[in-house]
Amino acid sequence: MKRHFVAATALAVAFGYAGVAYAEDEDSKLVEPLAAYKSFVADHTEKLLENTTKFTEAVKAGDIAKAKELYAPTRMDYETIEPIAELFSDLDHTIDARADDFEAKEKDPKFSGFHRIEYGLWDQKSTKDVVPYADQLLADVKDLNHRIENLTFPPETVVGGAAALMEEVAATKISGEEDRYSHTDLWDFKANFDGSKKIYDLVRPLIEKDHADFVKKVDGDFKVVDDTLAKYKTANGYELYDKLSDEDRKVLSAKVNALAAELSTLRGKLGLN
Amino acid sequence: MAHDQTSTTDRRKILLGLGVAAGGALTSGLAVQEAGANDKQVTDAPESHRTDVEQSVPFYGLHQAGVVTPRPANGMLVSLDVIADTPVDFEKMMRKLTERIVFLTQGGTPPELDPKLPPADSGILGPIIQPDNLTITVGLGNAMFETRPWLKRLKPRHLQQMTQFKNDALDAELCHGDLSLQFCSNTADTNIHALRDILKNMPEYLVPRWKQEGSVPTVLPEADGTVPSARNFLGFRDGSANPKSNDKPMMDEIVWVAEGHDEPEWAVGGTYQAVRIIRNFVERWDRTPLGEQQRIFGRKKMSGAPMDGVKETDIPNYANDPDGKITRLDSHIRLANPRTAESRKNLILRRPFNYSNGITKNGQFDQGLLFIAYQSDLERGFITVQSRLDGEPLEEYIKPIGGGYFFVLPGAREAGDYLGRKLAEAATADPSTRS
Repeated sequence: MKRHFVAATALAVAFGYAGVAYAEDEDSKLVEPLAAYKSFVADHTEKLLENTTKFTEAVKAGDIAKAKELYAPTRMDYETIEPIAELFSDLDHTIDARADDFEAKEKDPKFSGFHRIEYGLWDQKSTKDVVPYADQLLADVKDLNHRIENLTFPPETVVGGAAALMEEVAATKISGEEDRYSHTDLWDFKANFDGSKKIYDLVRPLIEKDHADFVKKVDGDFKVVDDTLAKYKTANGYELYDKLSDEDRKVLSAKVNALAAELSTLRGKLGLN
Repeated sequence: MAHDQTSTTDRRKILLGLGVAAGGALTSGLAVQEAGANDKQVTDAPESHRTDVEQSVPFYGLHQAGVVTPRPANGMLVSLDVIADTPVDFEKMMRKLTERIVFLTQGGTPPELDPKLPPADSGILGPIIQPDNLTITVGLGNAMFETRPWLKRLKPRHLQQMTQFKNDALDAELCHGDLSLQFCSNTADTNIHALRDILKNMPEYLVPRWKQEGSVPTVLPEADGTVPSARNFLGFRDGSANPKSNDKPMMDEIVWVAEGHDEPEWAVGGTYQAVRIIRNFVERWDRTPLGEQQRIFGRKKMSGAPMDGVKETDIPNYANDPDGKITRLDSHIRLANPRTAESRKNLILRRPFNYSNGITKNGQFDQGLLFIAYQSDLERGFITVQSRLDGEPLEEYIKPIGGGYFFVLPGAREAGDYLGRKLAEAATADPSTRS
């Protein structure tokens, strides 16, 4: 089974994606947005590495205040490029898993990455146990950087990523469960929305003529989300999640689901399978 | 596989052997059983019947369906929050909701789309949507009116946020909401399909808040052809004293808001919906002596007859029993409906479903009653009846944990009309909201 999968993947890589069955002109139309997206991701992975270095240094130095300050902004670059980062599920698991992903929750030694450190900083109020996790996080982020550099970006994944980001927020973030110790969820939201909107903006010129109503609707929904999040902007980032009013949470929830539904048609509208 | 076959053969030999030993009659019975077992596969779906799936309840009319409509076997109540900040948004939402309800309750074929796009329908009922006796009933909650200045003025007179009764332990996550959707149909799948369809088509307007599914046990008609009431999860017949839902004048008196009720004009033809999720402590109930159970309810458990009667339809004579020697004064049915001239105006139409959810953290069954009642005056109806029940001995075995009050919109009159039209028009006409 496994060998089969590897062989298929190797084939796909060898042929590039030109071999996949969709119209030639659709394919060439996507070259430019895909290249632009790749460079967008590269910028973010570079920044992620830079910030993770500083963040893990603070953790290892036992500087809790500084580590707390760097936690949310460091995550944003990861959350922005999540559709690509998630392609490497082993790294996503060690970098971004939550306690819920383990039966023993926080007690499981395999619980690592950002949220394990977050748990140490906010809940345990100590960096004592998390130094090895800081080392591992930095090593994982370096590895991720390296793997992304060598990745051929699959167009379906990139375009589908716009909706996938919204599905993630809808299914596992809107409750405020992601950053449950620090309550810095709004930073993640902002990054997820920006990551989704970037993809949409890159392909928007390809569909705006044929799908004027769609484009108008999606633009409008992204704007409502932006305006809603902007209410919670502070000098250095965002308010804590418990400051989010019930009304605004409902609006975000509705818009996230509406965007997920709308953006789920993006691949099809571009002729991708 | 080979092993299975051998054991089947062995089993048949044993069965045949037994048959021979026991005589001809038994042999033929076994042969039938064997044949029946052989031409059916585990993968064969349970069969539905055309007469059931094609059953449909008309959508258009003075009133919404699903209130005086006989209960089908499956029900589901969903409370949602609404995203609609202006009368225009509200109208768009109600038009869309009406369009979905018409399609789902009357049936049809969803459009086929380019396979590169997500399909129009979830597909869980197959390519053709049969009505399957589905009704979807729409109500608006207190919060819908209170949080929107352009609706506040138009709130039905008795609509309010449900407040805690003495025995309640309300869970905020199972209470209230802007809008209620009651789904009722022959199968749970039809209800689920309909809910998913509505959310898939209207994500920008609706955010689900809580949901409870339930069912009505089917009952065999009695020898005389009458059909007794279904039982609740305490084993008692529920609805014995319910007013007759097919008695139109009675429904006009008890259920429907009419002209002269001092309600906003748009509300005529609507009704108040009281929803309560009432957990039953069934383990403890099952360990309670039968006599005690019957005294608590005021009815005989198996027949459903009142304590002074022999059949379910018998009417208790409380005048002959002023001290409660036969039917306790604090029994459930006597408190709920004392059957005095005065208490007649407190009658309500109950339309409940039994629910069974899982196991509580104490290791007990999470079962109970999804209580739904309709009345033209919420205060004179449910609130008065429930207040009379405060402190009843049954409380030891039940715990209301959720629910809410909603106002069920009047019906959409004909094709082109939509639910809530008069309310939307009244909201738009309000000069204070024109900008």
